[in-house]
Amino acid sequence: MLRHRTVVFLLVVAALWVGWEAFLAVTAPRRLDAAVAAALEREPLVSIAVTLGFPPEDFHIRIFQTHGVVSGVRGTTVLLNRVSAADVHRIARYYWVRRISPQ
Amino acid sequence: MTPGAGAPGGPRATAAAVARDSRDGFASGRLAAPGGRGAAVRRQAGMAARGAAPFAVLVAAWAAASAARLVPELFLPAPAAVAGVAWTMAVDGSLWVNILASLGRLLVGIVVSVPLAVGLGVLVGLNRPLARVLEPVAGFFNALSGIAWLPLAVTWLGLGWASVTFIMANTIFFLVFFNTLVGVRTVPRIFEQAVRTMGGRRRHVILQVLVPGAMPSIVTGIRMSIGFGWRALIAAEMIATSTGLGFLIFNASNFHQTDTIVAGIATIGVLWLLTDRLVLQPLERRTIERWGLVSSS
Amino acid sequence: MLRWETAAAWTVLLAGGLAAWSVAAATLPVPDYFLPPPSAVLAALGDLLAKGILPTYVTASLARMLTAALTALVVGVPVGLLLGMSRRVADFAYPLLNFFQSVSGIAWLPLMLVWFGFGERTIVAAVNYTVIFPVVFNALLGVRSVPRLYVDALRTLGASRWRIIRDVVLPGALPSIATGMRLGLAYGWRALIAAEMLVGAHGLGFMIFSAQSFHLTARIMLGMAVIGVLWLLLDYFVLRPVEQATISRWGLVQR
Repeated sequence: MLRHRTVVFLLVVAALWVGWEAFLAVTAPRRLDAAVAAALEREPLVSIAVTLGFPPEDFHIRIFQTHGVVSGVRGTTVLLNRVSAADVHRIARYYWVRRISPQ
Repeated sequence: MTPGAGAPGGPRATAAAVARDSRDGFASGRLAAPGGRGAAVRRQAGMAARGAAPFAVLVAAWAAASAARLVPELFLPAPAAVAGVAWTMAVDGSLWVNILASLGRLLVGIVVSVPLAVGLGVLVGLNRPLARVLEPVAGFFNALSGIAWLPLAVTWLGLGWASVTFIMANTIFFLVFFNTLVGVRTVPRIFEQAVRTMGGRRRHVILQVLVPGAMPSIVTGIRMSIGFGWRALIAAEMIATSTGLGFLIFNASNFHQTDTIVAGIATIGVLWLLTDRLVLQPLERRTIERWGLVSSS
Repeated sequence: MLRWETAAAWTVLLAGGLAAWSVAAATLPVPDYFLPPPSAVLAALGDLLAKGILPTYVTASLARMLTAALTALVVGVPVGLLLGMSRRVADFAYPLLNFFQSVSGIAWLPLMLVWFGFGERTIVAAVNYTVIFPVVFNALLGVRSVPRLYVDALRTLGASRWRIIRDVVLPGALPSIATGMRLGLAYGWRALIAAEMLVGAHGLGFMIFSAQSFHLTARIMLGMAVIGVLWLLLDYFVLRPVEQATISRWGLVQR
């Protein structure tokens, strides 16, 4: 009985985690503007404007600083320069990002 | 050799000796060898020496490593440097100020929380349905105890000794309260009923059945809570105040004074060892042997 | 008392508690940030989830705990078993382990700050230290508590050292190891929160600590609740059942 509790709990946690990662992977492309995808094919580093659903906090700025150079914040949008393709896709996976568009 | 006869002190000391000896080897159930007072003292001294020897070896190895320049002086200062700093601090008083600050907070936390927790625990435990409902709540606050309260404490009480003592008291209170509840609840009903059939009143039930019956749980709770509380205290002192051992070592790290840090760490460890050995363990042993199962630690 | 009666009592207690809290938050003559009402804490939950802050911090903290647990299992258990096998070595190691176990990883943090600076390595080192020592110590105790009779019995049957470890010593020590893991993780969880506050890295400790400087008390309370709930889940679903299972299967000593 006791082992059942542990096993069920771990299975539920694993299932939730896998489901969540799948959700992130599926919804990521929707956030990316076609223009940005096109720009990525031309240049290795792009400048993007990341729109959130809320004014960014220190937490978000620090995360963006690991993906590129933060050049400004306009309301709910963060301007990022020198972002590589890999970093753009990583940003697209964040569920709290609304949209990634060219600057 | 009959078990109880030769050992000094009778059955209680024998049980204690079994408890001490059971960590001496694969559990062999050996009892304390008889031999009178002198032999007992010599045995105690022998055990103390055996306890201290590993530390002597450790310090010697440390000194050798430092002398051979295996470790940079900045990373791990030599024992001589650490001892020197400790001596300087002891002489100019700064060591004692910090020790007293930390121990003082510990004492305040204990004196305030333990009676409150035991009292409330017994009171709530008297009412079995209420106890069953409150137990998970107490368990939750128990899980929350310690340093997690610091930001809230600082919001309410500001930086300083008040917040730090609050956290200590809080940690001790919830753990002892929870253990008291569990201890009272697990006293077999039949004892309570026996006292009642003999005409005992509520206070007889409390004083002669519930409290002694819950004692092992309570004392274990006290010992564990002081352990958790001491750790929370050191961490809180690093963050929220400017006196105490935690602050001493954290402040020293800002100036890369590794000798002060190591001296402080050693002090923290020794203080806890002394408290545990000289106060908590004898207390636990005496109450548990009197009212519960013998515990070996 | 019937099951649903207990559940009803809890609901009443919870509702009553929340109501009293809301009333206190509204009427007490203290600044707003002192005591936010339950609704504010709930709003903070929604806010932190929507902004992705809570999941990131929770996974960061849990990941550090997981690595500490795995390190303790993979390194701590074998070391403890080996130390316990020889009576001389065990007697020598016992006071040392006892001492170092009681000096929590947080006390070593200042030294680690000098060594590694304000970064992830410092936190990992402090938490791993805190979790490993109770495990090693309890593994050693577990080995010592195996009755000599069983070891000797296997020896008379001609078993090799490895067989003895596998069939007698390890199972006999398992209850103690499980207890050691539970204790080590309990200490480790608290040390992690403290380390995150001090080092300022992503994590639950950092979340509640930084919220304090902005007087976001609702976030502090939410963070505290999350810390408590996470530990309860871990303890109730994983640590305690495993400990109980090892004791009922291989336990020799009554607790």
